[in-house]
Amino acid sequence: MGLAFNGNMDPELSSLSSLGPETRAQRREFLKRLAMVAGSSALLAELPWWSPLRAAPVSDSPSDRVRLGVIGIGSRGSFLLANLLRTPGVEVAALCDDYPPHLEAALAKVKGAKGFSDHRQMLDMPGLDGVLIAVPLFLHARMCLDAFAAGKHVFCEKSLAYSIEECQAIADAHRGSSKVFQIGHQRMFSPVFLRALELIRDGQIGQITQIRAYWHRNGNWRNPVPATGPDPSPFPSLERRLNWRLYLDYSRGLMTELASHHMQVANWFLGARPVSCAGYGSINYWKDGREVYDNVNLVYRYNNGTQVIYDSLISNRFYGMEVQVMGPKGTIEGETGKIFAENPPPAPGIVQLINEIEHGFFDTVPIGGPSWVPELKKDTKGSYLVREHTADDGTAISMAAFANAIRAGKPIPGMMEQACRAGVSVLMGHNAMEQQQEISWPEGFRE
Amino acid sequence: MEAVVESCTTSRIEVFHRSLFAMNTRFSMILAGIDRDRAEALAAAAERELRVQEHTMSRFDTAGPLANLNRRAADEAVRPPAELWEILLLCREYWQRTAGAFDITLWPLSRLWREHLERGEEPCQEAIAKASSQTGMERLHFDSEACAVRFETPGMSLDLGGFGKGYALDRVAEGLRAQGVEQAFLSFGESSITVLGPHPHGPDWPVGIADMFDPARAVHTFHLKDASLSSSGTAPFNRMAGLESLNQTASPIVGQIINACSGRPIEGFRTMSVASPSATEAEVLSTALLVTPERDRTALLSGFSAISAVEIAYHPSEQDFGARIQWQYGS
Repeated sequence: MGLAFNGNMDPELSSLSSLGPETRAQRREFLKRLAMVAGSSALLAELPWWSPLRAAPVSDSPSDRVRLGVIGIGSRGSFLLANLLRTPGVEVAALCDDYPPHLEAALAKVKGAKGFSDHRQMLDMPGLDGVLIAVPLFLHARMCLDAFAAGKHVFCEKSLAYSIEECQAIADAHRGSSKVFQIGHQRMFSPVFLRALELIRDGQIGQITQIRAYWHRNGNWRNPVPATGPDPSPFPSLERRLNWRLYLDYSRGLMTELASHHMQVANWFLGARPVSCAGYGSINYWKDGREVYDNVNLVYRYNNGTQVIYDSLISNRFYGMEVQVMGPKGTIEGETGKIFAENPPPAPGIVQLINEIEHGFFDTVPIGGPSWVPELKKDTKGSYLVREHTADDGTAISMAAFANAIRAGKPIPGMMEQACRAGVSVLMGHNAMEQQQEISWPEGFRE
Repeated sequence: MEAVVESCTTSRIEVFHRSLFAMNTRFSMILAGIDRDRAEALAAAAERELRVQEHTMSRFDTAGPLANLNRRAADEAVRPPAELWEILLLCREYWQRTAGAFDITLWPLSRLWREHLERGEEPCQEAIAKASSQTGMERLHFDSEACAVRFETPGMSLDLGGFGKGYALDRVAEGLRAQGVEQAFLSFGESSITVLGPHPHGPDWPVGIADMFDPARAVHTFHLKDASLSSSGTAPFNRMAGLESLNQTASPIVGQIINACSGRPIEGFRTMSVASPSATEAEVLSTALLVTPERDRTALLSGFSAISAVEIAYHPSEQDFGARIQWQYGS
């Protein structure tokens, strides 16, 4: 089954993971292979958002080109921009940031792009097909709604929005539209996570009985703030503008900025949204005036009896980040990209011996001999899901999917559902911790 | 091969099996006629024992006592934990009893050879001489009063790879016996096997040494009862890359077993399997006998009791590599 990847590790998926295209030409070559693999996928029913990748790779001719603008060119926006510049058939035509140092730095990288400090002016620019939104969380909904109103295709960074109401507003605005919407959960396009899902559907870990995810860092999660700088408005200070993640007016902290990724994976692999969640959070270490928790601990309940356990903290990085998908037969660690068998299979000789004892036979079992190679060493520490790991975590593929979907003029199936489920899940978690009570999935929410 | 004998037992016997990874290989445990809950508890206890032994004896566990000793013993006398101290004393004793054929200090040489052979070349004489100067049990100084050891020269490094699996099997078997288990089959990657009691349907456990090129064929069968079997051997180096790459004239026949006297890997494509009441002893002797010239083996074994051993030689120039018994000792 799967994206033409059968059984054991196969060359197709392996080649997908060897994505290291530094140039547009290499990336085009890669996308050509990807199109063939995606085109023959049996797993596509669970990965509808891969459908744009079945399109043949494009040329550089103007008719194939999509013209995009980026709103918000801070750290994440710059990363998206760098990826866009290597995506075949994409022209970055406009850049927008109301913080002049960021805008100037970005304009210096993109020849011919037009700069804006107000996103509405950018949306009025003729010939612009779509925008990528990488602004502070509290602005996501406004930007998305403005862009939809201007008839633009939208790629919005995660998490979907600042509040459940705003998530609903975005979903409502997009429903029935012919415009493309995409969310920045790049694991949806990661060959490693894809392979993980394939193995799960193949029964290799058995039924998913628990998912545990965590994201641990050791640092204050701050950006440096210059003593003086440009007018910080609409923020009251440069500190709040540059460290918006730390303040509740703009962000929901670790939940929206980190947890949303793993909640997206959990919802996707379980094929469900959480029924409810409960948990606690606090500021127990970084007491520097921030408003968002520096540690969060949550349990999400799903209607088939599965729980997802999530925690995040920024005062210890020993365990790093991981999403662990567990079942009676094995464990998958998505971030490390490994699968661990619960019980390693015995050697053939051992199987023969067990059989003979069970059936009352007494015979020589030719089993002894020197073991030259530490046999199956890989299995002692798990097996890699894909053969080669590269720096790309799915972001490069997701940029290509966005461009292809715009070119095809068709919304990406399943995308808004994934965005809403992850976005709402983390806001439920935030509310549960704030209100110190169990929070249910919002009744009547329409994905 | 002997004929299959069907036992008079007609009822199906409940067999418990557990495999797990430890000491860089797969450990398998078979218990017969024991109820499942008890077997689970025994398997869990065995696993705990293996983890403890692995921690004590692994040179790769950076937090373990052997790795710690290897890091420090060139600079100062190191007092290892009691269990490792006992193991080192035991290793020294086996070094003496095997006339130096079993030696846990050969790591600098084995690493040198492995690194070069992987690139398809031999190390130069100078490098061999240098590594040789960093090996030799006589350069490991024991202070019996302080229970401490010290390396005579920098660059020395102890490796319990040819000892640990046997030693651990003895500890697991001890634990099982203490729990009243009378029948079990334990295997570490099938190169180290320990059995308790007789086979559930026969007088002993008939364990065959498989022909490497015809694995269903037993070249020799050991009949084990409350005994252990250990196998060591050499192979053409490219055997490691898979059987298919082996051709008759292909690569020099070398293994990872170093002869301390010559500083070179032992020659010939051969395996040595040794049965003994002790898994540790079987493990030690399977390596020591390979290194020892045929004419000296009987003398070496006169210091041990209840040993049987078989050396199988492979002949790459012949059809199917002609596995034949080259040397045999005991029953």
